Parts: sequence; structure tokens; C-alpha cells
Amino acid sequence: MNQLSNQPPFYKYKLFIGLLGGAFLLVVSIVASLSIGAYAIPFTEVLSLLFNPDHSKEASIIHTIRLPRALVGVVVGACLAMAGGIMQAITNNPLASPQIFGVNAGASLMVVIGVVLLPGLGSDILIYFAFLGAAAGGGIVYYLASTGGGMTPVKLALAGITVHLFLSSLIQGIVLFHETSTEDVLFWLAGGIDGRNWSDFSLLLPWALAGFLGALLLGKSLTILGLGDEVAQGLGQSIGWIRGSSALVVILLAGISVAVAGPIGFIGLIIPNIVRKIIGSDYRVILPVAGLFGAVLLTISDVLSRFIAFPGESPVGIVTALIGAPFFLYLASKGGRKG
Amino acid sequence: MNLKKISPLAWILFLSILTLLGAFLSIGIGAVFIDPAVILHYFTGGNVENSGFIIGNFRLPRIVMCLLVGTGLGISGAILQGVVRNPLASPDVIGITKGAGLSAAAVIILFPELPVIGLPIAAFFGAGLVTVGLYLFAFRKGVQPATLALVGIALGAICQAGIQFLTIKFPIETNAALVWLTGSVWGKDWGDVWLLAPWILIVTPITFALAPKLDVLSLGDDVAEGLGEPVQKARLLLLIIAVLLAGSSVAIVGTLGFVGLIAPHIARQLVGNRHAYLLPASALVGILLLLLADDLGRGLFPPTEVPAGIFTAIIGAPYFLFLLRKLQKS
Repeated sequence: MNQLSNQPPFYKYKLFIGLLGGAFLLVVSIVASLSIGAYAIPFTEVLSLLFNPDHSKEASIIHTIRLPRALVGVVVGACLAMAGGIMQAITNNPLASPQIFGVNAGASLMVVIGVVLLPGLGSDILIYFAFLGAAAGGGIVYYLASTGGGMTPVKLALAGITVHLFLSSLIQGIVLFHETSTEDVLFWLAGGIDGRNWSDFSLLLPWALAGFLGALLLGKSLTILGLGDEVAQGLGQSIGWIRGSSALVVILLAGISVAVAGPIGFIGLIIPNIVRKIIGSDYRVILPVAGLFGAVLLTISDVLSRFIAFPGESPVGIVTALIGAPFFLYLASKGGRKG
Repeated sequence: MNLKKISPLAWILFLSILTLLGAFLSIGIGAVFIDPAVILHYFTGGNVENSGFIIGNFRLPRIVMCLLVGTGLGISGAILQGVVRNPLASPDVIGITKGAGLSAAAVIILFPELPVIGLPIAAFFGAGLVTVGLYLFAFRKGVQPATLALVGIALGAICQAGIQFLTIKFPIETNAALVWLTGSVWGKDWGDVWLLAPWILIVTPITFALAPKLDVLSLGDDVAEGLGEPVQKARLLLLIIAVLLAGSSVAIVGTLGFVGLIAPHIARQLVGNRHAYLLPASALVGILLLLLADDLGRGLFPPTEVPAGIFTAIIGAPYFLFLLRKLQKS
């Protein structure tokens, strides 16, 4: 506890720098996201139309298509990065993330079941399917990975990927038997935010804000947990309570992301690792800064995804996977050397 | 467990009989049911008219295919679990089948005019390429099992991203690729059997000869080195063999999952950890699993055929969870 409270200026300084840098990048990438696309709009025009909309075609593209899409991307990116950060903190494992933990696959399976087998369900109901699937997928992997002693990166990764493969083959089975919806479901399964509108955003926002709040409240406890279970207990923290509430926040953050944007991978893996490397192990700083940079990464990836099959749209999940998988490769070869 | 009181050889004998019986009965299952008596009549050289045509041209090559693929995947999984020293390792998990999947999807989607033979060659090539990458990235003064597993997962994820990119960029050809990616022995003929048979029949006896090496490796690197085993060389050799078996199988039937993961586990419950028993038992269990999955796929909703890969996942994964639970308790 002393260690933490003795350095308030330093901690606030880091938080300030991190948030300032992140905010600057975020604004730039949002403007790029509003400007670039099948119909290009110059940066200067974007800025003036954003705040003084007229009745032009450009203004309506920005306000009804690109802005909600960009904002959904910002919120989802932040959700995923924070969820990954919390997971890495409670498992003390750099590979922990919504994707590796089977949370994304679990939520996807439930959403696909909802969409294909019970057509006509509203997206407000599907959110609960996603939460349920996220909880089940994450629970199974956590249980498997902690069998027989501690949870090493290898055990977590193998357990996670096994559950992921199982859930994906169930999804594949469902998709194969409903050929009419194959294309849509496949597109959704790659993870994407194109075509998201204001109603998606308003569906997403309250849950995400609740998740952000939970994550910020957990920051201090997670930092103390990082000192080791025994130290944390000695400092009066209830380990079980921290783990339980962290799991709840993770399910909230990851579940709502999958429900709205599909299973977008690797953001929850990359961002917290980089942020932790740069600004140390204080989760009061890591979580908000990771959230901001998660938003930046998803927004930039979304811009890049527009070039894959230009002028057609491609799922942003492909871009994050192409950026993220080599990063995972790097973490893997490093983590294996240690273990 | 009083299962262990039965001698391993007796288990292998029992599994062999069960496999023969299973293969025999499987011939009868499908859109047209064929009576076991008629099948027996066919094999003793009798004339069974239409049924004979169905058996000879459709059912029999498919059953033989199950025998080959079950053997290949079962043994490959047992070897990988020995090499990586982790019960969760398998050809699917460490990226080998995903590599095959990516190059096969590329061929199906980008070059649909290629002759049929191109697909298995490309898939095998993809599996090999991932293995080379696996070795290069994991290599630091030798290969550590943990690194091997993690790097394999990462490479699998990269291949998965590639597959997703292809299926989304070219939606029209996607369904053909999806069926292949699920894994199925549907529509396999004698030509496919002859393509796969040499690989499995030549490599399998070699693995039996290498069983003592696997026993030594499973004791850990230090002990194995102390016993005079060149650990790194042995690991590379075994890895190549595992890839040959899994890669050739997957090249023909598609990315059929979970057989390589589950079969060695079931086999280990029956015959214990000695690889001389474990390898043949894994092969037999692999065959039985695949036969069961394919029978369900053919017989459950005739004439619709469900890819066997879906049933290997549905049977395999819950059983796997159950096994892990048991391992944790003991």
C-alpha cells in the first residue's frame, strides 16, 4: 500500500501523458475514419461538416454512416483492450485475452444460435445470449487451464485454443446447415463494425460505460493483486471478491463487444501488453490508457480494412488478426523461453 | 481404475476386433441400408446385384479411408503429446491442420480449375510449410516443448486469418471450401485411398520402431540426455513423422478435428503410457472414433450427409472435458 501511495505525482504524471497521447491519436484516427472510404471527403471538409452539418450528401454520409461506425469502433476497441488488461492482471499471464480465453468464441456461438435457430430475436435480446456465451466459454477455459497446479501461459493457450476449436466447429456445423445465411454469418464471425448505426451505438453505450466504470474501480485492487496473492491478502484485499468482480466486468466488456461487432481478435492481447511494457504495472494507469489505445487501434484497423477489397467492405477482424498474430508469435517465443 | 488390470496386449486385441466389427457394420449404414448378411455374402464372393455396386464403389473405399485417416491422426496426436509433453497438444492445436486448411482454401477458391490432384498436394505442402515455420520460430539453441506449442498456436491464428480473408473476399466459392475445412470422408473413392495408403502404411511401422525414443523423451530433457538420447535430434525426427501422418491424412479428407486430440487420451486410459502399446491403441481408437462419427453423419439424417468433422467435435470435445476433470481429481 505504501508503495502505491508514496508515488502519487509519478502515477498521475504517467496517466496524464498516456491519456494525452492516446487522445491525440484517437482524434486523428477518427477524422481519418470519417474521411476515408468509397466516397472520399477531404479532412478540412470533415471538420467543418462535423460541427456545422448542412444538407449536402457529404454531411449525411458523415452523420448517418461514418460517425456511428467510428464511435462503435472506439467503444468496442476500448472494451476489448480493457477486458484483456483485466484478464492478464487476474491470471498474471500475458497471453490472457478475450480470444485466447474462449470468451469471444463462446459469445459468438450463442449469438449464431440465436440468429440462426431463433430468427426474429431483437439485438437487445441477443446481448444476453452473448453474455451467457462469454461467461460459459471463459469459465470452461479458466477451469481447464488451472487444473493440476498453476496456470502457465502454455496451459492457458492450449486449453483456450482447444475450447475455441470446439466452439468454432459447432458454429461451422450450424452455418453449413443454414446455407441461406452463410455469407452474412461468416462476415459477422470475422468481426466487423461496418454498417453499424446509431441504434447499435445506443445499445452498446450503457453496457460499455458500466464496464468502464467497473474496470476503473478495480484498478487499485488489481495492482495490489500483482504483488502476489499473499501480499494482497495481507493488505486486506479479498482475493475471491476481486477475481469474481473482475470476471463479471470482463464478461460485460467482452460480451457486449461481440454482440455488437462480432468476435474481433487480438486487440485485447496486444494493447495491454504494450501499455504495461511502457508504463509499468500500475493498473490504475494501465486500464484507462489501454482502453484509449484499444480504441485507436480498432479505429485505424477499421480504416485499413476499407482498402482490402476497395471499394467493397471487409471485416476489421481480418486486419486486427494480421497485425495481432505476428505479435502473438513474438510473445509466444518469448514466453516459452521463460517457461 | 480396474481397467488397467487388463493387460495392454489384451486391450489392443479387443480394440482390433472391435475395429473390424465396426468397419464391417459401417458398410451397411447410409442412405440405402444394407443387411449384414448381404455384406457377408458380398465378401465371400456372392452376387448381391445393386448392393454390390454400392459397397464396392461407395461404402468400401470410404471405410478404408476411415481406417487410414484414423490411424494417421491417432498416432500423430500420440506422438505430438509425447514430444510437447502436454496432454492438450494435437495436430489441430499446433497449427499443422490450419496450414493445410489455408493452402487448400486458396486452391479451392483461387484456382477452381486445377486438376483434383492439386488439392491434396497443396494441403500437404501447407502443413509442411507451417511445420518449417514452427521449427524456425521456436528454435533457440534447440526447441523447448512449451515454445513449440505456443508458436504453433500463433501460426494457426495467422492461417485462420488468411482463411477468413479468402472466404470473405470470395463468397461464392466459400461453401465448397467450408465443407473441406470441416473435414469429411464423403465421396472418397479408391483413387483417394491409393493416394493416402502408401504414406500411412510406410510411416506407421516406423513410428512403432521409434516408440522407445518417445518413452525416453517423456521423462524430461535432462533425464533423456542423461540416458544418452540426443534430445533435439529425436524431437525433430518425431515432429517430422507426426506431420507426415497428419498432413497426408488432412490433405485427403480436410481439416478433420479432435481425432488426434482425443484418441491418444482414450488409448492412454486403456493401455497406459508405454508408447509401444500407446501408438497402436491410439490408431485403433482413432479409427473407431472416425467410423462412429462418419456412421452418425451418414445414418442420422439420410440422405443428408453431415461432415464427419462435426461429429468428431461433438463427441470429442465433451469427452475431453470429462477426461481433464478426471485427471485433475486423481
